[in-house]
Amino acid sequence: MLIDAVKKELQRIVGVEHASFSKEALLCYAYDATNIRKMPDAVVFPKNAEEVSLILKMANAERFPVVPRGAGSGFTGGSVPVDGGVVLSTERMREIHSIDEANLTATVAPGVITWELQQEVEKRGLFYPPDPTSLNFSTIGGNIAENAGGPRAVKYGVTRDYVLGLEVVLPTGEIINTGVKTAKGVVGYDLTRLIVGSEGTLGVVTKAVLRLIPLPESTRTLLAVFPELADAASAVSGIIKARITPSTLEIVDSISIRCVEEYANVGLPKAGSFLIIEVDGTVEGTSKEADEVRRVCLENRASSVDEAVDKKEARNLWKARRAISASLFRIKPNKINEDVVVPRSEIPALVSGISGIAQRRGLLIACFGHAGDGNIHVNIMYDGKDAKESEVAHETVGEVFKLTLSLGGTISGEHGVGITKAPYLAMELGSDAISLMKRIKANFDPNGILNPGKVFAGGHSR
Amino acid sequence: MMNSELLRKEIGRCVVCGTCRSVCPTTRVLNRETSCARGKLTLIGALSNGEIQMSEEYVRHIKECALCGACKDSCPNGVDTVGAFVAARAEIVAKQGLPFAAQMILKALIDPGGLKGTAIKIAGALQGLFLKDASAEAGLVSRFSLPVIGGGRLLPPLAKQTFLEMSRVKTLAVPIAQGTSVKKVAFYAGCGVNYLMPQVGSATLDVLERAGVAICVPPEQVCCGMPAYSMGDKDTARAMALKNLEAFEAYDVDYITTSCATCGHGLKKLFKELLSDDPALSRRVSAFSAKVRDITELLTNELGFIGKAGAKAAEEKVTVTYHDPCHLNRAQGIRREPRALLANAPSLSYKEMRFPCSCCGLGGGLSTTNYDLSIEISRRKAESIALSGAQVVATACPGCIVQLRDALHRYGVDAKVAHVVELL
Repeated sequence: MLIDAVKKELQRIVGVEHASFSKEALLCYAYDATNIRKMPDAVVFPKNAEEVSLILKMANAERFPVVPRGAGSGFTGGSVPVDGGVVLSTERMREIHSIDEANLTATVAPGVITWELQQEVEKRGLFYPPDPTSLNFSTIGGNIAENAGGPRAVKYGVTRDYVLGLEVVLPTGEIINTGVKTAKGVVGYDLTRLIVGSEGTLGVVTKAVLRLIPLPESTRTLLAVFPELADAASAVSGIIKARITPSTLEIVDSISIRCVEEYANVGLPKAGSFLIIEVDGTVEGTSKEADEVRRVCLENRASSVDEAVDKKEARNLWKARRAISASLFRIKPNKINEDVVVPRSEIPALVSGISGIAQRRGLLIACFGHAGDGNIHVNIMYDGKDAKESEVAHETVGEVFKLTLSLGGTISGEHGVGITKAPYLAMELGSDAISLMKRIKANFDPNGILNPGKVFAGGHSR
Repeated sequence: MMNSELLRKEIGRCVVCGTCRSVCPTTRVLNRETSCARGKLTLIGALSNGEIQMSEEYVRHIKECALCGACKDSCPNGVDTVGAFVAARAEIVAKQGLPFAAQMILKALIDPGGLKGTAIKIAGALQGLFLKDASAEAGLVSRFSLPVIGGGRLLPPLAKQTFLEMSRVKTLAVPIAQGTSVKKVAFYAGCGVNYLMPQVGSATLDVLERAGVAICVPPEQVCCGMPAYSMGDKDTARAMALKNLEAFEAYDVDYITTSCATCGHGLKKLFKELLSDDPALSRRVSAFSAKVRDITELLTNELGFIGKAGAKAAEEKVTVTYHDPCHLNRAQGIRREPRALLANAPSLSYKEMRFPCSCCGLGGGLSTTNYDLSIEISRRKAESIALSGAQVVATACPGCIVQLRDALHRYGVDAKVAHVVELL
């Protein structure tokens, strides 16, 4: 609970209309896409770094938690106020400050929606590749906090690879600038990379300088259909082995196909699996690569390989792809959504391993995702009202992680740890590494006021 | 309309993924979680659990919505958001009642031509005292900020003679002769055409005549009930549906057509819902609704209008773009037909605008309950129209026409607004 004096001060900092304490407002800032709900005591909408700084300074003086929030589209509870306190929404910081066409950079506020930035830069023949599935509503600030990736990571990398510099408000309220505006820069420790992916625990990003690249001249989108998931998985390995780097290489299993077709109605084939493959580059280059991809797919038992005839068809295909995660709720009311990564050559082993686990446990597990970079979304479906099934589903998570790690992988490729993966952190990281991370957190945030209860198990870092 | 149990179930199906944030025109303006479907459903759920009361803030958030249906359309889980919002509005009306002015207007609309008496008097006073002419094409601008109108708002003047009073229309107020060999079509005007834009009604009759059909315009027709329904007054909406059903049953026709997207949605779908409580009525309304076609749909798909002689000629082609009314596009799935009519008209050169399907901001009573928000939503539309370079923006809904004229006037975009049928 916040005392009245604190509420008054918050109102003074951001303006009366930009600080809410009503139950109505708080209910709407209690959740993210995990559907985990914890009530905050206030939600504030600061306009700039100075206001954020004042809020954080007061949080240290009065010892209340501050939880940064973009669009609330995260999958691990990163913006859920587990200890209450103040949700700090970036919804008012929506400016694209500048797009520098001479130096290929964009300077943006954290609340800018990823898709809107992409539209703006693409108008100028430029390209900001990171494309988390939620890009139509997720924010750049949230993408940076989670180091979000997406289908294009296979060729273009993830958010981290496009962040040159940041303006960050530290948990103690100081405003610092990290990184550079230039293509290179090695002065001091790389704080930019430390902040990127720190899940809002080390600072609040209030401005970002992003790297842009030229927009590829041509993109070709192919849909390859396979009788079995295993065939699609081996086609993925085949494409990588053929020395082709597609700009996206997405795999979708039969459960996902069924659910999403119900939603999107785009005429997806009833099949064991399909791949969405994009190649981009010059017109000649993509034409050669598209032929090569087609050949590899057919060699791996593809029953058909079709190409999207125009942008609209490609867009429909992507609309369907992006809807998979949420449309899975059509088969079961609850799910555990993991985003494990394995070395690309191990994808066939991962998918067959998971199908074995699903059979043994008697669960429906939907697999889809960014096969091109080895990042598979493993969705364990269950009914929360069925205590037994719920328990089995949660036990299965550990088993999936064990399999992933045994194949040389990692337990999260892009969703982050948040609260949902915190209990599993020690499965992947050594105790010395975790202890160093905790010391870093304590150094940044001695009072543990910024996004407490995240990343580290046992929750409360305060 | 959903009962409270169904409503709770529907809310439970929202998995708060956030997709609705990306398409909501209200959220684009307000930038708050409370304005998107995910937030609204959370609030409706909290009210039904007793976590919150029906507070002023609750009511405000529920009404911050044009009922455009974009969230429902984009929801990966298929949650009937619009149904939930309408049910929530009905709960509000049940508890708090409707504002007096709204009650008066809805009451008047239950009778054929019922608005005429009251409204003309009010409008006469308003037009003389508070409104000045903007331009012959555009309408009237309010001089002062009024609680119901808002400052600087462009309003269409009420027609001196309603559509149903026109002598041409009165001659069509009789059943079509039996044994005619051509298709028989009844025209449903709707309040927008009847009271505000009779010229759209006339243009509709013109194209129907050119299409070679026999026409009638039942004079017993009343408001379709959509305004009452979206405000949450289901009883009035039901009474209107029944009156219309009875009115049109007396005329033996092949099709019932309308040039209002909202009315079309009402006639096709709402009537069924409202009258489903009575099995006998339910059967009758099914037969009625099966005959309903939007005018663009009727011309394109049933009457083979494209390429028919008598089209408007022009020395120089006019560039036209098209705005998709939510009630035509999302509610009825009609996108291709109006575009086909425009693209094939010899006097027009068709150009698509960006975001043609984004809402104009008028719907769901938003333009009366929260005009500032409503007109701010229309800014993006005005920008898209300006960017398209079109001289005329066509649409197929009188409501959208009112809002687009206001928006283009406000944001200084030099383009005319017309109904598709006025351009053919």
